[in-house]
Amino acid sequence: MRLALLLAGGLLVSACATSSLVLLPDDEGVQGSVAVLEAGGQPADAVIADGNSRTKLGDATPATKPLRGKGLRKEEAALLTSLPPPAKSFTLYFQQGTTTLVPDSVNVLAALRQEIAARSGPEVEVTGHSDTVGSEEDNDRLSVSRAEEVMNWLAGQGFDRSVMSAVGRGEREPKVATADNVDSAANRRVEVLVR
Amino acid sequence: MLRLPLGLGLVAFLVASPALADIARIKTTSGAAAVERGGQRLKAAPGLTLQKGDKLVTGKDGRMSLTFVDNTRFALGPNSSVSVSEFQYDRTRQKGTMLTQVDRGSLAVVSGKIAKSDRDAMKVRTPNTLLGVRGTKFIVDVGK
Repeated sequence: MRLALLLAGGLLVSACATSSLVLLPDDEGVQGSVAVLEAGGQPADAVIADGNSRTKLGDATPATKPLRGKGLRKEEAALLTSLPPPAKSFTLYFQQGTTTLVPDSVNVLAALRQEIAARSGPEVEVTGHSDTVGSEEDNDRLSVSRAEEVMNWLAGQGFDRSVMSAVGRGEREPKVATADNVDSAANRRVEVLVR
Repeated sequence: MLRLPLGLGLVAFLVASPALADIARIKTTSGAAAVERGGQRLKAAPGLTLQKGDKLVTGKDGRMSLTFVDNTRFALGPNSSVSVSEFQYDRTRQKGTMLTQVDRGSLAVVSGKIAKSDRDAMKVRTPNTLLGVRGTKFIVDVGK
């Protein structure tokens, strides 16, 4: 009887494709985890948390083994190498009440251009901000104008507008919290995310 | 000062150019690599934008890499079939949910803002397992 059950179980497993998981620390060396929420169609409640490990999936309580001395398989290493680079963020600062960059930020533009040019299939998100001097409405407009100014400059450098987007958040998301009507160089900024 | 009603306040998140409804963008491809969308088969190429429901398919010499709007990154190995069946992301609040189905082959993942936003907001399904991703880098392999 028990044998029959084992055999049936074995057939069931071999009928399914096998799955495995290799868990690794992220690029900053932080180790996250992966939970097994369902296995073989049944709810499960296991957590795989060991970094540099390999787990055969399919059981409710899967067995995790450390990667052996040889580490990753050749194909796995190639897969990791082909991951896109992480998104990179740039911040540009502006003179009070204007869309004119502060002198120090002019150099950042060159680095930004270089970063976009170096990427395959790039995408650029431009987000403008203001400090709290003036009305909320004026700062909404100013933050959008700052974002557009940066996007227009990038378009002038030959980057396609279809890969770029610009939004303004006014004074809602200050880098440094201040009272209303406070002049803040840190908050008069445009953040550019390149991915 | 007069406070704007909530509805009007939202309008103030002024958009200077249309926000992209796209969920991801292909970064690199090699060999046979395609995107299946609603019965159509599109050749995968750098810059191609993806939509929810797209199925990514590679042949025996094929590879593909992509980055999602929440910064999640994918790399597909050869002989792979991967669908992004659910994807929802709020750029302003940096929260969302995502379900990826790996039917065949290999997928490397570096999770992004969705996985950080809520416990198990990012899920990956293989033919025999449903995984909840809690902020990390991993490889899923589905053999025959």
